[in-house]
Amino acid sequence: MHKIADVEIQHDIMVANRKLARNNQRLLDQNGIFAVDVLGAIGSGKTSLIETLIDHLDHKVGVIAGDVISKYDAGRFESHNVPVVGLNTGKECHLDAHLVKHALEDMPLEDIDLLFIENVGNLICPVDFELGSHLRMVVISVSEGDDTVEKHPLIFQDADLVVINKVDLAEAVGASVEKMVNDVKELNPGVKVITSSIKMGKGLDEIISTIESYVL
Amino acid sequence: MHELSMAQAIVDTVLDAAQKNEAQDVLEVTIEIGQITMLNPEQLKFLLNVLVEGTLMEGAQIIIEEIPVEIECQLCEFKGEANTDGSDHYLTIVLCPECGARDVEVTKGRECNVKNIRIEKVD
Repeated sequence: MHKIADVEIQHDIMVANRKLARNNQRLLDQNGIFAVDVLGAIGSGKTSLIETLIDHLDHKVGVIAGDVISKYDAGRFESHNVPVVGLNTGKECHLDAHLVKHALEDMPLEDIDLLFIENVGNLICPVDFELGSHLRMVVISVSEGDDTVEKHPLIFQDADLVVINKVDLAEAVGASVEKMVNDVKELNPGVKVITSSIKMGKGLDEIISTIESYVL
Repeated sequence: MHELSMAQAIVDTVLDAAQKNEAQDVLEVTIEIGQITMLNPEQLKFLLNVLVEGTLMEGAQIIIEEIPVEIECQLCEFKGEANTDGSDHYLTIVLCPECGARDVEVTKGRECNVKNIRIEKVD
């Protein structure tokens, strides 16, 4: 005889990721490390910003370079003589707490006190996946178009710090920086928004002081 | 692709439960997806149907239940179901229904929960 049975499972994959993220944060806390998850669009300047911060911040920095193929960005960070762990996501469009857990196993935690985790360039998929960082920084640039904030609201609602980069190009690409700032503020009134041109050095001091204020 | 890894995690969860309960067949799988979870239910269903080929889950009916967004408003302290602007689920903008603020903490609506399965087993 066969019978039909209902089996309750109640396994939430998002909750499972959040638990791993909490474990990651515990490990970071135990080692006195402050972690920044750097999210943003492709080509918005995430890697350049982290490179600049490595050179200007008075911290022992480590970087987890997450990308579909991570060796290119990882190589750039290594040239700044800091510990780097490359994290290939392959076909995946975001980092998750499980991947970061493994990357932390390869990171010399005793040698760093500030960790940047560069996420895959994407304004949609990383939103749901906490990694265990203490600060979520979203980097976009004017060249993605000044409607990019309103088209991707959730990532901005979750952000602690938003950097709008390449403002020196705004006129050339016909983007309104003011609209982008206002769109972020409407979605997340309490968030810090910094307009920058990493290439020209604009906004860098403010980004540094903001990160420092969170670390302390 | 985002949905592929999530679909694989769902299939793994279902097959693990089916095996533990000595199922001979999985007839039905109910999954709860939050309204603002970054998953497209149609893509998810398509991938689940591809991944289950040759497994106990092949042919099972996939039921996706959407979980509405609930919030705690940071301005007026409203707690409960949010207003959404009715656009595609993964682009939804969440608003407080009382005061219209967007400064809200989402308390529900971000799930990807394998809720239950219906199986056939030897009595």
